[in-house]
Formats: sequence, C-alpha cells, structure tokens
Amino acid sequence: MTPTRIILDTDPGADDALAILLMLASPEIQLEAITTVHGNVTIDKTTRNALALLEFLNATHIPVARGCTVPLVKPSHKQSGEMVHGTSGMGRTNLPEPKLKPIETHAVDYLIERFLAEPNELTLFAVGPLTNVALAIRKEPRCAQAVKELVIMGGAIRSGGNMSPLAEFNIYEDPHAAHIVFNSGIPITLVPLDVTYKCLLTSADVERLNKIDSPISKFIRDVTADYMAFYLKYEGFAGCALHDPLTVAAIIAPELLSIESHYVDVDVSGGVSTGKTYADFMKVTKKPANMKVALDVKGREFVELFIERMENYAGRAG
Amino acid sequence: MPKHIIIDTDPGIDDSLAILLALASPEIILDGIVSVHGNVSTEQTTKNALSILELAKASHVPVFKGCDLPLVKESLLSPETHGNQGLGYAQLPEPATQPKAQHGSDYIIEQIMSRPGEVTLVCIGPLTNVALAIRKEPRIVQNVKEVLIMGGAIQSPGNTTAQAEYNTYVDPHAAHIVFHSGMPMILTPLDVTYQCVFTKDDLNRLLKINSPLTQFIADSTRFYMEFHDEYQSIDGCVINDPMTLALTFMPEICDYQDLVVDVDISTGVGLGNTFADFYNYEKKNRNMKVALGVRPRMFMELFLERMEKLAREIS
Repeated sequence: MTPTRIILDTDPGADDALAILLMLASPEIQLEAITTVHGNVTIDKTTRNALALLEFLNATHIPVARGCTVPLVKPSHKQSGEMVHGTSGMGRTNLPEPKLKPIETHAVDYLIERFLAEPNELTLFAVGPLTNVALAIRKEPRCAQAVKELVIMGGAIRSGGNMSPLAEFNIYEDPHAAHIVFNSGIPITLVPLDVTYKCLLTSADVERLNKIDSPISKFIRDVTADYMAFYLKYEGFAGCALHDPLTVAAIIAPELLSIESHYVDVDVSGGVSTGKTYADFMKVTKKPANMKVALDVKGREFVELFIERMENYAGRAG
Repeated sequence: MPKHIIIDTDPGIDDSLAILLALASPEIILDGIVSVHGNVSTEQTTKNALSILELAKASHVPVFKGCDLPLVKESLLSPETHGNQGLGYAQLPEPATQPKAQHGSDYIIEQIMSRPGEVTLVCIGPLTNVALAIRKEPRIVQNVKEVLIMGGAIQSPGNTTAQAEYNTYVDPHAAHIVFHSGMPMILTPLDVTYQCVFTKDDLNRLLKINSPLTQFIADSTRFYMEFHDEYQSIDGCVINDPMTLALTFMPEICDYQDLVVDVDISTGVGLGNTFADFYNYEKKNRNMKVALGVRPRMFMELFLERMEKLAREIS
C-alpha cells in the first residue's frame, strides 16, 4: 500500500502536536510538509513549536512554511488559546529553541506551488484556522481543483461550540476563511466537535503510556498537562479531547467514523451565531453536498488506536 | 521628485481615464498596474489595462493580474454601467502585450517592501488585492507611502445599494481589512466624485483634437453618459477614478477631514455601507483622511488639459 501523501496546515497547539506525532507514527501516512498559521497561539509560537517538534522527533527533512499572522476579517482573539494550550502553546514541555528555520516561501504560496505541481496527488489536513487555505484559493483559484482531499478539524454541527455557545474554535477564529474554503469546491471531510469530544484521552491513558520510559511518552504527558487542567476546570473531566489527532482516522481508520454527505456552511453575518457551522440536513437550500461530515465515532476504539501507535512510537524511539 | 504610483484597478471606463491621466502627468511615475475583478472579469480588466497602455503608447508600464473574485461575497460585475467589455462603446484591438507572470498582490508587496516609504497605491476598484497583500505581508502597512482609495459613500447615498458604493459593496470584507490596517489612507467617496460631472461640452472640447485618444474617450464615455442619464438623471457622466489619481499630486482639489471610517460587513441591508463616526463616540484612532469637499472645475480643467496634451502627443 502506498502511503497517503499529506501536507499539514496547523497551529501547534497541544492537540496539533499529538496529530503530528500520530502522523509520524503511522505507516499509512507520509507527512511531506507543514504550513503554520495563527490560532491557538501567535504565528511566531506556532512556527517555533512546529520546528522544535520536528527536531525533537528527528523529522527535520519535513519543511515548514510560515503562514498568516491574523484572521482575514475578524480581529484576532488575542491569546485566549494560551489558557488551553499553555503560554508557549505546548503545555509544560520545554523543547529547546529549534535550529531548523522555516523555508523562505510563504505558506500560502507553498500550498499553491505544491498542489499545482502535483494535481490530485496531495491531501491537505487543516487543523487550525483556515486563513492560509482560504488565501491560497483566492490567490490561485486552480488550487481548488488540484487538492485531492481536504480534511478539516473544525466546526460543531449538532454539538455545541467551545468558543461561543454555537461556534467551534478554528472556525470561530476565522469564519470568513472557513466560508471561502467550504464553498470552494475542494472535496472536504469535516471532523467537528460532534466526534472529537467522543475521543477523550484520560490521565490514566497518559500514565499507561508513561510505563514506557521514552522522551515521547514524557512529551505526551507534558504537552497534555495544561490541556487536561483546562478540561478539568472548565468541562469537568480528567482528560482531554483528541480533536486534531482524530482527523488522522480519516486515513488510518476510516471504519471508526460514521460519515454523511451534506451541504455545510458557516455563518458570517456578524450576529450571535458568527462562526456557527450548520448542515442542511433537510435539503431546504437545495444546494448540493459540499463535504463529508463525521457525525459519529467509535471514540474509545480511536483512543486505543492512538495509544497503541504512541506506545510503538515511544518504544522505537527508546 | 515625481511620486511613484501603482494603480490597482478594474478598467472600467473611468478607470481607463485615471490610467490616461497618470500617463499624462509629469508629477508622477506610473510604475505598474494591478488588475482586479469588478466592473468586468479580471481576464477582461487585465486585457483592458494592456489595451489602454497600448493606445497611449505606454506599453513599458507592466501589468500584473490580480484576484478573480471577492474575498467572501459572491462575484458582482457591472456590465450595465461599463458595457460587456468594460469600455463602453470603445473597441480597442486585442492587446499585443501580456501581463507579467507575478500575481498582482505579490507585485504590491514586492514594490512596497523593496522601496519603503516610496510607493503610493491608487486603488480604484474593489480592494481584494490590497487586502490579500496585507494579510500575506503585514509589514506593507508601515512601508507604503500612502493609499488613495476611490470608494465608499459617507453622507452621500450609494450607487449600488441604497447605502453602498460599488467598490466597497463588491468586496466589503476586503475594504474592512484595508480600512482597519493602519495604512495612511485618503478616501474619495461618492460625496465628492458625484460633484465632478464630465459633460458633453467637455467632451466636445476634447474632440476638437483629432486623435485615437479623444475618439476612445468619446466612445467609452458615450455609454457611461447614457447610463448616468437613464439611471441617475445626470447629463454627462461622473468620472470617479481620475479624481482620486489627481489627488496624488494636486491635493488642493479637495478638502479633507480626519475621520474614523468603517464598513458594514454584517450582511443586513447596510452591507458595504461606509460610515464615518463624525463625533467619534468610541474614541477610536482616526484611520483616514476623507475628501468631503471638492472644487469640481479645478479638477475638470486639469483633466481636460492633460487629455488634450496627451492626445496631441499620440495623434
């Protein structure tokens, strides 16, 4: 089986880091590049975190292109993500300052370049605000036909929001970018809060992982520490949701996801539902489906899969 | 020292006149033209920019193709105002020259960053390219000399919806990005442009010179005059864009106020409306100079003289 070739657009971020770990631990996936975006923390921090993480994981062959600093139209939330992901964005980890630098090319141009160079060969994973992807589409409309598939962590369809009562963080942070991407014609698979909140990594899971004495298992403990503290304080359980890692299931374990095709849009009207993602279940808009949406998941099975992959990865890394 | 200018434009009848005025004005150097969707498609506005440069024997000025669509809203072209090809009844030959390979927004970034404090942008179409450039390279905000924008309607009603002017209505989100960017801006809204009417007498004065240029102005503006007569009961036509260009070297044409200006992106009936907070209730920083008074004949005489000179040069 040839591995799925992936470019990851991301704002690391604790769960972003876990998604990168899962991708590198999965033989079904070939992670070819990372583009960074503002989001959980500032672009300086997300870019630094991506580089530091790749150095830590001996994966410095993967290029990192730095992307957009602020959302398209809305003001930036100003570091509300630090409450969730820690001041650095990487919890209580303390990775050394990376020697690796981002490439010269801007993330938007890098995405355009890669997708046009190999039409329908590359799958894009977007697990942060969609600013880079939206700008790439508007700057080079042919991008929309050249992306094989776009897997997005974002939105809350039937689920409540985690940023406003109605809106999920990545979409709320740049709803206008999400509107551009959703209506672009790119084949999309959406992984919303409806499923990610069913995939909870518990503190017991983290302890189990740490039976393996490895920098990887220790990293997972440290990167999730602030994240878990946040969940305990605000959402009442001793664990954290594997939002971004769950996107990887679309490739390595699609059978765990229940997927439906729907027309999904995002509210950019500027009212209380700004950033709300909604599916036209009853087909009242008569618009054709624009994406596949994961609406259910075998949550514990995915968490087990995640832990197994991490145990193997940690074992190999010694 | 002549000012270095980049025009971001969707020609467009009055856009063409702004390009011609730039070429006829020794106070400025037209470094390049960036095309954008708007009056007609970007494919067509790019061709029109190239054709107008050829008409004026100025094909040394490079043209860079910009964005095809507004950022967030659906596309809205205006063939009823500018004709299917965007130049009214004028039929210019297919251009022999091509646009450059670089994207319009990257050209804007490159020029501003390579010559900090020297490049003036004259934006006379929807602001999509400039917004994209700001988001891709935020440092252009501190490094651009000045941005002159034809757009908006402050106390004037709109010309596209009851409240909104065409350029800001077509891409209100882009206007929102630019207005809030911190760039030094001068806005020329409909409040002043609608006081500058190019009349049939003005046209007849130009037509005393027999030149492909005066013929182009006659053919293009005849369509525009019919539109203004039919929809707005104006005898003549309003040439918004050249006035914005003229302010780069003759600012005394207008009177200005420093104001806090925003654009409505809330998708209600006010979508695209530009409004000034004259009393500055929220104590925000004033983000632009807005032209609210104008000496119409001062501008029109300048325009006519420059067109006469250019017409003689290329006849």
